[in-house]
Amino acid sequence: MDGRHSLELALPGATIGAVAGAMAGGLTLIAGVPTGLAALAALALAVPLAFFGGLYGALLGHGVFRPGTFGPAGLYWMAAFPLSRLLQESVAGVGMADGVPAFLAYQAMVALGFAIGFIWVHERLMPYWLLRRAGDNPRAAALLDSYVRHAEALRARKGARR
Amino acid sequence: MDTSNTPPATASPPVEDQRVWKAGRLEPMPIRKLPDAPPSVHLIGPTVFLVALGVGMGESYMWPRLVLLFGPEIRWLFLIGVTLQAVVMLEMARYAMATGESIFSGAARVFKPIMWFFFIVAIAVYIWPGHLSAGAAAFEEITGIPWVVTAVCGLILVGVIFSLAKVIYNVLENVLSLLIGALVLGTAVVAAMVGSWGDVATTITGMFAIGYLPPEAMTAAWFPVIVGACAFAGPSGMQQMWYTLHLRDSGAGMGAHMPKVRGLRHAGEQEAMPARGFMFDTEDPAEMAKWKGWRRWVTFDALLLFWGITMLVTISFTVIAQSAVRIDPGVREVIRGDDREVALSAMANAVSSAGSSVLGTIFLGFIALIGLNATLGLFDSFSRGQADMTYNFIPGAKKLRMSHLYAGFLWGVIIFGILILLFGPADGPSGILDTLAFLSTFAMGAYCVTLLLVNNRMLPKPIRPRWWTNAIIGFGAVFYLGMLFYSLFAFGVVVG
Repeated sequence: MDGRHSLELALPGATIGAVAGAMAGGLTLIAGVPTGLAALAALALAVPLAFFGGLYGALLGHGVFRPGTFGPAGLYWMAAFPLSRLLQESVAGVGMADGVPAFLAYQAMVALGFAIGFIWVHERLMPYWLLRRAGDNPRAAALLDSYVRHAEALRARKGARR
Repeated sequence: MDTSNTPPATASPPVEDQRVWKAGRLEPMPIRKLPDAPPSVHLIGPTVFLVALGVGMGESYMWPRLVLLFGPEIRWLFLIGVTLQAVVMLEMARYAMATGESIFSGAARVFKPIMWFFFIVAIAVYIWPGHLSAGAAAFEEITGIPWVVTAVCGLILVGVIFSLAKVIYNVLENVLSLLIGALVLGTAVVAAMVGSWGDVATTITGMFAIGYLPPEAMTAAWFPVIVGACAFAGPSGMQQMWYTLHLRDSGAGMGAHMPKVRGLRHAGEQEAMPARGFMFDTEDPAEMAKWKGWRRWVTFDALLLFWGITMLVTISFTVIAQSAVRIDPGVREVIRGDDREVALSAMANAVSSAGSSVLGTIFLGFIALIGLNATLGLFDSFSRGQADMTYNFIPGAKKLRMSHLYAGFLWGVIIFGILILLFGPADGPSGILDTLAFLSTFAMGAYCVTLLLVNNRMLPKPIRPRWWTNAIIGFGAVFYLGMLFYSLFAFGVVVG
């Protein structure tokens, strides 16, 4: 049961990861690349990014990450994003001209940018999802509680209006 | 702090603080409680507007172009420009969060003609719909739909969305957040796929080649282009000033005491907008502790979101441009030319021809997305700024609600924009193009001076800026105005 609860929390992050990875794939079809190739490249990035995005959500539910904070999430993606790209290059890539260490170092740098975008969108989607799931999922309810506390603090701030 | 109106000891509840803070010649600001700062460092705030406005042609086209022409070392100027803008953002926020007023009201407190100067510059510079063309042209490349059709439809859509919205700020923040989220995620994925360690290493080390200026850069042909690119590093023109309106509407700091601007359809629910802002008790340690919380919040926004995203997008686009030239050296020559659309599509084609035609399309998709973000943000901000100044400083305007004025300016600029797109020169009449470019950059130097005056004269001493912040803003004034006038007098050209 707990596994299913954690999986539910993983859904928004997994969706963002999958969409980010598949972004290339969808546009590839417009651009006229053979469908099979496009799908393979997109899938090879979308699957690992969805996995790590989902894992982030699950860890958030277990209190490993705090909602909306960037530092730990940035470090997380500095490891997860290069791994995802490595997997994609191994499956559907054209080879790494600079060698693996330089490739990973570059991907780790880009990962910080990816992390900003990921957290940004995740913070937008997660509260809505938690609202839907909080009734049946105690983990979602607990996480929603932390979002609500934050929102209440904001409302108290606005309530100070004259 | 002026405490001359301290309430009598016998005052019965509700006790309302009668003290005021006198700033300039306008109505004094009542003392009210500063709300608590957000409890945790959350990523989402009004900086989203500044990012949406700021990440534009400077980041996606002008700087990648300069890097291709003069080498990555030229990027030290970009580093200075964006860092300067991050400090300007913090200082704009200082006044807006301490008072709940826009910087325009602050300028009027110092000397009203300063505010009127910005009122006129905004109309002169931002009424032309030329900024729509790059994004719409990129969309045309992808879909084949003529760019004028896209631009006109886009204009009408913007007007309808903002007129129907209950609270404009909330709608805009949500829409822009998702668009920027998509842009940042997508840019990161594309940069990860086309770039290499070598590209990014030269791009980053180039940022520290302080003082590098190749001989060709100091010519009448290129110096004005560099001045323009410096002005477009981060938010350009009056965008930083508009950020203070978004801070107010998001309820940051004393902005919490101000009502929000509503869409035309919900204008009847609009609360009366007070003619002046508020001040908190800067002699109360508890209030000052909350103030420090607010400053931490906005500093985080400025550094990570604004500085970080602007850098990320520019570095990514530079890396894409470098890959384009590596793939097709002919692109370098096309980029030398003055035609932005041709250069952008050449870059897209070069990236496509590498066997990954998807990337060319994505590249154009991002240009279209950046254009859409900028248009949404620009129209809203322009209308918000003009409505704010009109409401507060034009006699009789208070008979209307702020929402009506906002809608008036919004639809005014949309209808004018459509007429110009259909029948006139989109960038403005060619005879005044130089003047418009001059005014846009001049406004940036002018707002640095305005900021120094407003923050150092209109705020209570404990929350005035430190000396080093003043020094950086002063440097900003010299940087923008100095380069502008040097270009004008040495080369007889304004801004490229």
